[in-house]
Amino acid sequence: MKTGTYISGAGHTVLLLWAIFGGAFNSEPLPIENATDVSLISAEEFAALTAPQTAEDAEEVVPQPTEADTPQELDQALRPPELPVTPPQPEPEPEPEPEPAPQPEPEPVIPEVAAEAPDAPPSDTPTPEEAPRVAPEPVEAPPEDVEVAPERQEAADAEVPAEAPVQEEQQAAAPEAATTEIVTEAEEPASSIERSLRPMMRPNRPTPPPVETAEAEAPAEEEPPAETPAEEPEPAADPLAGALEGALAEALGGATSEPAPSRSAAPPLSAGEREGLRVSVQQCWVVDVGSQAANVTVVVGMNMNPDGTVDQGSINLVSASGGEGPAVETAYQAARRAILRCQRQGYPLPSEKYEQWKQIEMTFDPSQMRLR
Amino acid sequence: MMKPFAHALALALALVAGTDAPVFAQGGPLRIDITQGVIEPMPIAVPQFVAETAGAQDMAAQLTRVIAADLVGTGLFREIPREAHISTISNFSAPVQYADWKAVNAQALVTGAVSTDASGRLIVKFRLHDVFSNGEMGEGLQFAGTTDGWRRMAHKVADQVYSRITGEGPYFDSRVVFVSEQGPKAQRQKRLAIMDYDGANVNYLTDSSSIVLAPRFSPTGDRVLYTSYESGFPRIYVMDVGSATRRPLADQPGTMSFAPRFGPDGNTVVYSVTEGGNTDLYSLNLASGQRGRLTSAPSIETAPSFSPDGSKIVFESDRSGSQQLYIMSASGGEPTRISFGDGRYGTPVWSPRGDMIAFTKQNKGRFHIGVMRVDGSEERLLTASFLDEGPTWSPNGRVIMFTRETQGENGAAALYSVDISGRNLKRVSIPAGGSDPAWSPLQR
Repeated sequence: MKTGTYISGAGHTVLLLWAIFGGAFNSEPLPIENATDVSLISAEEFAALTAPQTAEDAEEVVPQPTEADTPQELDQALRPPELPVTPPQPEPEPEPEPEPAPQPEPEPVIPEVAAEAPDAPPSDTPTPEEAPRVAPEPVEAPPEDVEVAPERQEAADAEVPAEAPVQEEQQAAAPEAATTEIVTEAEEPASSIERSLRPMMRPNRPTPPPVETAEAEAPAEEEPPAETPAEEPEPAADPLAGALEGALAEALGGATSEPAPSRSAAPPLSAGEREGLRVSVQQCWVVDVGSQAANVTVVVGMNMNPDGTVDQGSINLVSASGGEGPAVETAYQAARRAILRCQRQGYPLPSEKYEQWKQIEMTFDPSQMRLR
Repeated sequence: MMKPFAHALALALALVAGTDAPVFAQGGPLRIDITQGVIEPMPIAVPQFVAETAGAQDMAAQLTRVIAADLVGTGLFREIPREAHISTISNFSAPVQYADWKAVNAQALVTGAVSTDASGRLIVKFRLHDVFSNGEMGEGLQFAGTTDGWRRMAHKVADQVYSRITGEGPYFDSRVVFVSEQGPKAQRQKRLAIMDYDGANVNYLTDSSSIVLAPRFSPTGDRVLYTSYESGFPRIYVMDVGSATRRPLADQPGTMSFAPRFGPDGNTVVYSVTEGGNTDLYSLNLASGQRGRLTSAPSIETAPSFSPDGSKIVFESDRSGSQQLYIMSASGGEPTRISFGDGRYGTPVWSPRGDMIAFTKQNKGRFHIGVMRVDGSEERLLTASFLDEGPTWSPNGRVIMFTRETQGENGAAALYSVDISGRNLKRVSIPAGGSDPAWSPLQR
């Protein structure tokens, strides 16, 4: 029994020692090596390393913008920054990823790009999917640019003929590398410009000075990068202006020019002033909650006199929903009575802002009062 | 690479988020949304109508009182007392001084004149003025009739005013048939009676020798269906209102028939028949005498009521174990249950508008009159009491009249009406007690 125990104990002891020493040797050396590596890297080396890295980064960035060497390409390159920004909504997101890089960085990179432009070709757009889509159109793209420009950009027309040689360059480069990016951008702007331009609108209006400067700066900075100087910056600015106007026309139904002067003429009504008018009218709006008219929402339009009274003859039913016939007429008359009855000596509206309230449309919506 | 793009994206989103409202607010007219109004009666002035002929003074005064009472009785109008009037209307054709009526806050003004012509006919004309618009609402109208029918003429004028202002259909010129109840509870005498919608002009159609139940008007208002025990067991009769003559509907021996109601064609009657302890629905063509069975379930089906277009029937049934409301095709077929709330539902009545169903609901020892959409949605209880039952719709589907019975030995049944908004609950003034009201269509 004992001999067996001794043999077993000796064997286990050997195994334990073997395992311990074997494991210790394996685990320790690894951290040590790492520590030595860290210590070896000095600030000098780090600085030395960083310098070349930036250069490499610049090179990597450059190739993409360089792809758009042709003036039109640059134009499009300038557009995409606007386009991807605004359209973030649906499809463009996956595609813009390669594009966004050139957008923000064009300023620092651009000077280098001119020299390194030839190096660019190796870095083509990775996504093959875009190519097939673009491929059919790129051939058509050049003519489209010329045609599209006159439609959207009035100023661009004069410049387009001058760019005729540029088109030849595009055709040569297009099939291999440039076409993919150019075409995709050309396609996107058509759909995205309309959507994207709305956000651009706002900065202009509420704060004209800051926004305008911001916009002016962006194209100005982007222009120098464009190798074809004079032509590109102008079209870039023109499309912006044209697109802004287009967006205004869409948003305001063509009355873009009117709101601006009205605003300049008078400051907008404060929330309190609007609330005061609303409360004044609703005090006189008698709702018969059990009636058919209680299902009808009416919009009533009216012209106001400078003294705050309503031009009675101007009161009109703009629209109605939720009913028909007598119910609509009753709902309209109830709203009309409310407007006339509560005006008394005139609604308390600031006369200096008359331009803001000389025309009013009130929506009378009884849905919250309706029986359930 | 991504950081600048992220900044641009954030900027774009910020612009989008803050842009739309100001841009749209700036363009075009100032836009104001009003979603809360007030629920209150409209102030209306009804100065006494002008008597244009000698002897019409009293009639003018009575007419004016009835017109004002009709309007105020809806709960939607408040009459401005005559003491407050600044102007007086002495000439029906003279221009109205709107400023005077505006000063007393009258939103509407009713002016009128009463006269009698050579043949003794009564002529009533009126104009409705929108005070704050300084003009008339609609054109002036004139009615002519017998002197005896002066109340109807007053109702006609009030109907015009009511409809023009509220947009609802008229209903003042209508009648109600009901069961008049007199005497102590143990020995109560019941008679069929008919009256104006406001409780005036009560006339009795039957004597009190036998129990009568559940009268129902025909679509034209010239006939009444009702159930009588005069033969010893419940049987359905149809009565001509003008002549008060009646005849029993053909029935099957050994059965009890009750709960009749006309179809919108005036020729079809649906009712319940109890045979061998089982109650089902039947239809009867009055012209041909042809009978059809609509249900054949072991449960109790009763209280049928047609939809206004005659295509469907709503009724009560306990087929699910409790009394609930069901809708089926007017020709029979599989019914669809529409009531799913707590308690028991009964006596459904389809609204003349076709959009709602009124019913009696019993829940937790209380009775309610309620309404729901025809699909069972939007159930609203309008009343609550010891015993409310038997709703009937006004011709315009705006008001419901029903029976309310008080508790105890001396409890009595009375007629009440309520607006479908649940407001304006009031007792209908009649000489004695009453139950089982049925509203007529608008008179012609």
